[in-house]
Amino acid sequence: MVCNEIQQNIEAYLDGELTLSDRRDFEEHLGNCNNCQLRLEAVRKLNTSIKKIGYSSRPSGLKRNIRAGLLDLSGEDSPGFNWSQLLGFSGASALFAGVGVWLVMGVMINSPLQLAHTDELISAHVRSLMVDHMTDIASSDRHTVKPWFNGKLDFSPNVVDFKDHGYPLVGGRLDYLKGRPTAALIYKRRAHVINLFVRKADTPAQITTMQLIQHQGYQLLNWQERGLTYTLVSDLNSKELQAFANKLQP
Amino acid sequence: MANRKERQRFERLMMGHLDGAYNLALWLVREPAEAEDIVQTAYMRAFEHFHTFTGGNAAGWIMTIVRNTAYNWLNKQKRNSNLISFDEVLHSHEPDNRKQLTPEEAVSINARSSQLMEQMERLPVEFREALFLREIEGYSYKEIAEITQVPKGTVMSRLSRGRGQLQNLLLEQQKRRQQNGM
Repeated sequence: MVCNEIQQNIEAYLDGELTLSDRRDFEEHLGNCNNCQLRLEAVRKLNTSIKKIGYSSRPSGLKRNIRAGLLDLSGEDSPGFNWSQLLGFSGASALFAGVGVWLVMGVMINSPLQLAHTDELISAHVRSLMVDHMTDIASSDRHTVKPWFNGKLDFSPNVVDFKDHGYPLVGGRLDYLKGRPTAALIYKRRAHVINLFVRKADTPAQITTMQLIQHQGYQLLNWQERGLTYTLVSDLNSKELQAFANKLQP
Repeated sequence: MANRKERQRFERLMMGHLDGAYNLALWLVREPAEAEDIVQTAYMRAFEHFHTFTGGNAAGWIMTIVRNTAYNWLNKQKRNSNLISFDEVLHSHEPDNRKQLTPEEAVSINARSSQLMEQMERLPVEFREALFLREIEGYSYKEIAEITQVPKGTVMSRLSRGRGQLQNLLLEQQKRRQQNGM
């Protein structure tokens, strides 16, 4: 017999998508058509194999990170931030090894003042993502980027390329934040852009406190060192941003 | 505490779909770290637009946002170069250039999950997506059409062409294994 049954009908039958009358017609045809029985069996086998692939287990921190993000977005009072949890495998020990210089405390601050400044930093980050606003000096060579800031700033930011660690330097830019000239160093992590803002600190701090702020889907890491304030801003996940901050410390 | 109630409602409706959301992202972008990022971003975006969720199918709503976020990422990456070249607009009216297998060939295919996934990754992302939503999540054609924002006929065609190409790829793989005596 001649079989004109189209492949999509066979699949729609298996997917339970045929109307009752189409289903009856198809089954009647199927009973007499060896060809269609084989084709149907082949698709059924394939579908079963695909179903067997099932789920891969999701990363353990995903739910927690989303919860933290939701808390932040909803503007509720956030619970204290647990740094040892955040650092996890990325090496709490490595961080605490440099405790002479670094005293790390975890807090999430939502004071209005803090948020106003956070908005300013995020705006500066977002502005930099717009076409042709990312760099004033586009270079992955730190010996080109560092001298470029000479005469533009009253301090000299340390410029290091972390290409070997997966955080290549893309370039530098001059910004004004809180009315101060600010060095912006641009790094990348895969497709994520990371802005590192360096400016003179308002008050020289003896104790260095690192802060993580999550706001509007962006992560900010903030710390002071030797009279300079450093802020990382990116939409990169906080774990990898933290790992990058660890590399930036001398 | 309206914010808190809203957040709790969001968590109640959406957190249960996290496994599906993560696996959809993983099937689309194929890299765990990226999939994690995409789901995190998608959930934040979803919460910001939660007021537009008018009830009904919460899973479908969050899946739509996840897949849109994943496609944004894919478009940015332009990394589709290692996939089978695919331009639905150009090729939707042409038959696939691969030959149609005979029923005997098609039914002779036996594939383990790892082999299947390997070939699955070579399919155009739209085909993988349709197959994931159909076979792993068990959505109907109508639901897949809503999530992927295409007509039902396109869903049927993507599923059928996806399965057809998979069978072709799997048979080639099977023949190579047999030639190598494995």
